[in-house]
Amino acid sequence: MRKFGIVLKYELKEYFSNKTFMGLTIFLALLGMVLLFLPRFVDMSDFTGVKIVGGETEEKDGDTEENQDRFLYLDQAGVVRDEVLGQMFPDVVWQAVPDEEALKAAVEAQEAEAGFVVLSPTEYRYYVYNKSMTDRNASMFEQAMKTFYRMDYCDASGWNLEEISAMYDVPITMDWEILNKDSGSNYWYCYALVILVFMLITYYGQMIAVAITNEKSNRAIEVLVTSTSSNSLLFGKVVAGAVSGVFQMGVILGAILAAYQVNREQWGGMLDRFLDIPAEVLLAFAFFGLGGYLFYAFLYGAMGALVSKTEDVSKSASGLMVMVMIVYFFSLLQLTNIDGTAIKVLSFLPISSYSTMFARIAMGTVAAWEIVVSLLILVLSILGTGFLGAKLYRMGTLRYGNPIKISTALKDLRKSDS
Amino acid sequence: MKLEVKNIHKSFGEKEVLHGVSFQVEGGRALGLLGRNGAGKTTTIRILMDVFHANSGEILFDGARFVPSKHRIGYLPEERGLYPKRTVLDQMMYLAALRGMKPGEARESAKKWLARLQVSEYEKSRLETLSKGNQQKVQLAATLVHNPEIVILDEPFSGLDPVNSQILKDVVNELIGEGRLVIFSSHQMSYVEEFCDNIAIINKGEVVLDGELREIKKEYGRNRLMLAAENLTLEELSEKVEREWQELAAVSGKKKEFLILELRQGKERSAVLEKLAGSDIIVDKFGSYEPTLNDIFVMKAGEQG
Repeated sequence: MRKFGIVLKYELKEYFSNKTFMGLTIFLALLGMVLLFLPRFVDMSDFTGVKIVGGETEEKDGDTEENQDRFLYLDQAGVVRDEVLGQMFPDVVWQAVPDEEALKAAVEAQEAEAGFVVLSPTEYRYYVYNKSMTDRNASMFEQAMKTFYRMDYCDASGWNLEEISAMYDVPITMDWEILNKDSGSNYWYCYALVILVFMLITYYGQMIAVAITNEKSNRAIEVLVTSTSSNSLLFGKVVAGAVSGVFQMGVILGAILAAYQVNREQWGGMLDRFLDIPAEVLLAFAFFGLGGYLFYAFLYGAMGALVSKTEDVSKSASGLMVMVMIVYFFSLLQLTNIDGTAIKVLSFLPISSYSTMFARIAMGTVAAWEIVVSLLILVLSILGTGFLGAKLYRMGTLRYGNPIKISTALKDLRKSDS
Repeated sequence: MKLEVKNIHKSFGEKEVLHGVSFQVEGGRALGLLGRNGAGKTTTIRILMDVFHANSGEILFDGARFVPSKHRIGYLPEERGLYPKRTVLDQMMYLAALRGMKPGEARESAKKWLARLQVSEYEKSRLETLSKGNQQKVQLAATLVHNPEIVILDEPFSGLDPVNSQILKDVVNELIGEGRLVIFSSHQMSYVEEFCDNIAIINKGEVVLDGELREIKKEYGRNRLMLAAENLTLEELSEKVEREWQELAAVSGKKKEFLILELRQGKERSAVLEKLAGSDIIVDKFGSYEPTLNDIFVMKAGEQG
């Protein structure tokens, strides 16, 4: 245990005295904070819906003319009612034009954002300069056209449109009583955390593998394995890599979460679905996410020991990478079917419980015994991969040259054990 | 303090590379492990250090099973290497701590060895910035930083210039003088002759010769004489001996300045003296021949190569 501590301390010093590592951590944390403080200093009301006035926040004022878009229309059918357009497009100033050419020219010159030519009570033409992916003007104008039609029809028939509408769209009141989980609101941060663990595993796993291969390529490994046990060495190195990864992610995420809490009002709460994570979900993430990270970190460490050149690390770890990616995509797909059989099975496997069990805890129905059993399996698997990784590391010590296939390594290990 | 290697066999796959290697060495003495490239020296050392496991045979320390982790061993591997990006002192303290030293002791000892090997000025430098010779000295300092009782050096002189070799020679002599048990392998026979009381020559995975160097030299020189003449070239002298002294001695070798003669079975040196006295040879050099370690090595490792 003492030797493990010595290795851990030495390896941690390597990470924390690395200027690139620390520089990147500070840079990304500051960048995140700067971005989240932006609405305090820059008018982002178009995006956030919140305007800063004299240091105070207020909801965006939709009536200010300079904030409003300019839309044009040409009513050839004589059906357009300005009051309806005003209600349906509150942020738009409408202006009638005498002919279609003038309307088109104004839109083309970007003097107006959009133009509508009403050809008949049921037909119109829409002019826009650049159609964005989120353009809803056409569908809203279609609603307005339907309203014009209904109003004209009721007028002609002597019916009261308000009465008919009240009967047709009777308001129903509802009171939510969620007795377990709200998948809708938990979905996005679960999604974000699954991506985060995936990034941790692939990025830092690769870093750990490279650090171990480096010891083979610079020939330090023989001095090390004859100075202490391979268990102390591999556990020390992997845990140091894991701690550094958690530190880096922790600093960056901590800075982002803190900055968001300070500026939540300025953002109008629009990032809540990503950044307002309940404590119990964070706790589940801490156990399962970090457990899965350690599990894969040991495997990456062992893969690093099977090659002697850093450029071969990706080749050696490619099988592991494929497994991580399959679990990642499957987990994301299964978030919408959180209580399905497939995700239940995966939540007990150490290769996938890091994302699936904590997603089930956040969004689905899961019994306490299931969490305990899954965590136990994960912990035992971490220890198992740790000791197996240490054996592979020891076996790969003086095997230079071509990368050793994992199947060959395991076969050799079985042979040397028997 | 006595280390005994007994009948070690080692195979890699189907190929057996050590066929029963045995030797022994005691504290305060040095054993030179000699052999041609690929003879099995490094494999033997790695088995001693538990880097490889032997298929059979045993290693004993003072009569009990030798467990490397229970002893303070200073091991300089053939594959040199430390952390190129870390500072010299930092990694020496790390290795000392891994081998059981407390931080204060480790720092003190690291500084002492760096000073002894004349590389103190680099203690805060990254290893990769040092010359190859200085890196080699740092590696040796790292080998000795924890004051080992057993020192195993695999080709310690490779890469050192004559000045640095002298520093290393002095250090090795000190270690032997302090009663440490020293094993080292080298191709440079002059160094082995200088330090080693015992040698073991390994050839193709077998110990072909081992024992006390002085005795071995005596044994290999027992029936050998050196002879040179003022009035004959070595070729002429060789022809004369082969022609006229057939029943007495044979020419077994030729050095730059003399011939090496091997007495026939049952013949004495006095018979050669008598023969010389009665011949027209004007003696330039005559005496007992003591072979160099190099001669013995070539004889034992070369003959089967």
